[in-house]
Amino acid sequence: MAEAKTRSISFPRYAEYNCAFRYIVEQALDCRYVMPPALTRRTMELGTRYSPDFVCTPFKTILGSMIESLEAGADTLLMTHGLCRLGYYGELAEQILRDLGYQFDFINLSDYDMDKKKEYIRIVRRFNPRVNPARFLAEFMVGLKMVEYLDELTAQYYQNCGFDAMDGAYRRAWQDFLTAMYTAHSRADVENGYRTARRAFQSTRLDKPKRPLRVGIVGEFYTAMDAFSNLEVEQKLADMRVEVHRWMNVTNQFLRYGSGQKNLRVKIRDLCRYDMGPTSTANIWYARECAERGFDGIVHVKSAACTPEIDVMPVLQNISADYKIPVLYLTYDAQTSDVGLMTRLEAFYDMIHMRKKVF
Amino acid sequence: MENQTIKIGLPRALLYYRYRVLWRTFFQDLGMETVVSPPTDREILERGTALAIDEACLSLKIYLGHVAALVGKCDYILAPRVSNFGRHRSFCTRFEAAPDLVRNVFRDSRQELLSYEVDVLLKKDEEDGFLEMGRALGCPPKAVKKAYRAAKKAELAHHKARVQKQEQLCRREGMKVLIAAHSYGAEDPALGRMVTGYLKRAGVIPLRADLVDRDAAVKRSRELSPTCKWEISREILGGVALRRDEVDGIILLSAFPCGPDAMVNELIARRVKGVPLLNLVLDSQSGVAGVETRLESFIDIIRFKEGTL
Repeated sequence: MAEAKTRSISFPRYAEYNCAFRYIVEQALDCRYVMPPALTRRTMELGTRYSPDFVCTPFKTILGSMIESLEAGADTLLMTHGLCRLGYYGELAEQILRDLGYQFDFINLSDYDMDKKKEYIRIVRRFNPRVNPARFLAEFMVGLKMVEYLDELTAQYYQNCGFDAMDGAYRRAWQDFLTAMYTAHSRADVENGYRTARRAFQSTRLDKPKRPLRVGIVGEFYTAMDAFSNLEVEQKLADMRVEVHRWMNVTNQFLRYGSGQKNLRVKIRDLCRYDMGPTSTANIWYARECAERGFDGIVHVKSAACTPEIDVMPVLQNISADYKIPVLYLTYDAQTSDVGLMTRLEAFYDMIHMRKKVF
Repeated sequence: MENQTIKIGLPRALLYYRYRVLWRTFFQDLGMETVVSPPTDREILERGTALAIDEACLSLKIYLGHVAALVGKCDYILAPRVSNFGRHRSFCTRFEAAPDLVRNVFRDSRQELLSYEVDVLLKKDEEDGFLEMGRALGCPPKAVKKAYRAAKKAELAHHKARVQKQEQLCRREGMKVLIAAHSYGAEDPALGRMVTGYLKRAGVIPLRADLVDRDAAVKRSRELSPTCKWEISREILGGVALRRDEVDGIILLSAFPCGPDAMVNELIARRVKGVPLLNLVLDSQSGVAGVETRLESFIDIIRFKEGTL
C-alpha cells in the first residue's frame, strides 16, 4: 500500500523537543511530519473546553495541540505511555477527539508493552512497514543526539542569558540554534548547529558577578520544561539576572537514568525510603542538591492537580526547613495572564536578594 | 516473647477498606494488637485538611486525619506502599508516595511507622512485602509466612462473602442503582455512606461496582477501557460492564479531585450509554442537603424514564 509514505504524523507540542520528533519521523521513519502550531491561548481554550474539569493541565494543553495538529493536516497522532495519569492520556484524548468527529489514525504507546524490545519493532512497522532497520536505527540515534544537545544548551542558556553584556547576542545564538535544529536534515546539520551555537555562547561576553543569585527549578515533567505552560518562568527569572538551573529534562530523566534512579535515591534515603512516584526521586534529590550547593532559592513548578508533585511538596517543605532555603511553589492552571506570576517572582527575587546581602 | 504486645495502628482510610481483614488477621496471628482510628468525623477531616497540601484529594486529607488520630496511641502505624500488581495494574501514584508522605508530614512526632511494599513490576509481590515487614518486626519467617497465608485466605473469603451478598441484592425486586466508587469513597461515613444511606431511605437498592469477582472484573474492564492502568479503576470498570444491564442507574461517586476518577469517569460517561448516569463529586464542604437534592432528582429521572413517577 502507498499509505505508509503518505502518513502525516504529529505529536503534541512539548517544549522544544518537537524538532527531534520531526527529525526522527522524517529521517528515521521516512514519513511526513506535521509540526503542531506553537501553543497559544487558543490551544488552551480548545483543550479546556473539551477536557474533564479536574484532569491535570497538560492533558488540556495536549488535547488542544492535537486538535491544532489535525487542523494543520495530520492524519496520524502519536501519544506516549507514562507512569502517572500520562499513561491514560492517549485513550481519553482519542475518545474525546473521535466524539468531536475528527478522523485520524491513533498510535497509543500505552497499547504496547514498552518493557519488551519486540514491541518497538511492531510500533515502527506500524508507522512505516517498509522502513529500513539500519537506517532507522542510525537516524534515530541522531535524533537522540539532538535531544542531548538541546538539553545541554538549554541548561547553559538559562544559566547565562541573564548576564549577556552584548545586547542580546546570547539569546540570538540560542534562537539560531533552535532554527538549526528545527531545519536539520542530516547528522552534519545537527553537529554543525550545535558547534556553531557553542562557539557563539563562548564568544559572548558575560557580565556576571562573582556570586550571582542561583535558583534551582524542580517540578513536573511537562510544565517545568515547557516555556509556554510555565509562562516562561525560567526566562523571567533569568531576566532578573539570576542563574537558573534545571536538572529535569529528557536527557537526564530518560537517556541517562532510563534504567531507574537507584543511585539518586542513595542520597535522599533519610527523606524517603521508597520511590514516591514518576519524577519524585529526581526532584527531591535535586532540591537537596541545590540546598547543599548553597543555591539562593528553589522554584517548584507543576500543573494544577498533578498528583505525584503534590506528594513531593511535604518533602520539599522539610528540605526548606532543614537547609533554610526558600522554596516558591507555583501551580499552573489553564490561565492565560502572567501578571500574577510576575508579582510573585518579583517578591521572591527581592527576598532572596535581601537574604544574600544579609547572610 | 516480649512482655508487652506490640500495638499496630491502622488508619481507617484509603486501603483500609480493601485490606482490613488481611491486616487484622495477619497482625493478630503474630500475636500483636491492632488499633483502628475512629470513623471519619468533622475533627478528623479538619485535622487532615490542615496537615495536607491544599490541592491534595479529599481521600488523602481524610487519611492524614486518621493517621493523626493514631499518633502516640500505638507502637507502629501501618502505611504500605502499593505501587502495582503488574502492567496496567497500577495504583494511583498517591499509594506509592503514602509511606514517605506520612513520614515527612509527621516527622516531628517521633511516631514509628511500619510499611510494606508491593511492586510486581520490580518483582516484589504482596507476600514478599509481608515477609519483609514481618522480619522488620522481629518475627520468625516461618510464622510470618503462615500468618500471611492465613490472612490472605481470610481476606479472600471475606471478599467472596461480600460479593455473594451483592448477588443476592441484585436479584431482589426494586429499583437498583450501581455506585461506581473506590471502596474508601463508598464506605467512608463522610462520603459514600451519606449517599447509600439516602438511597436506602428512598427505597432504592444500592449496589457496588467494585464488589465483584476481582479477576473477572479486571479482565472484563478491557471492554470499556483497554488501556486503563489503575487496578481499582479496572475493578470498577469491570463491575460497571458486568452490571450495566441489571441496574436502573449508575452513580459515579468520587472525592474531589480524584486523579484516576477525573479521567476514568469521563470515559465511562462517554462509553456507557442508555443508562441514567449521575456524576457526583464530593468535597469536604458537601452539605447533606445539596447531595440529597441531587440524588432525589436522579431517582426522579429514573422513575420518569420508567414511567413510574
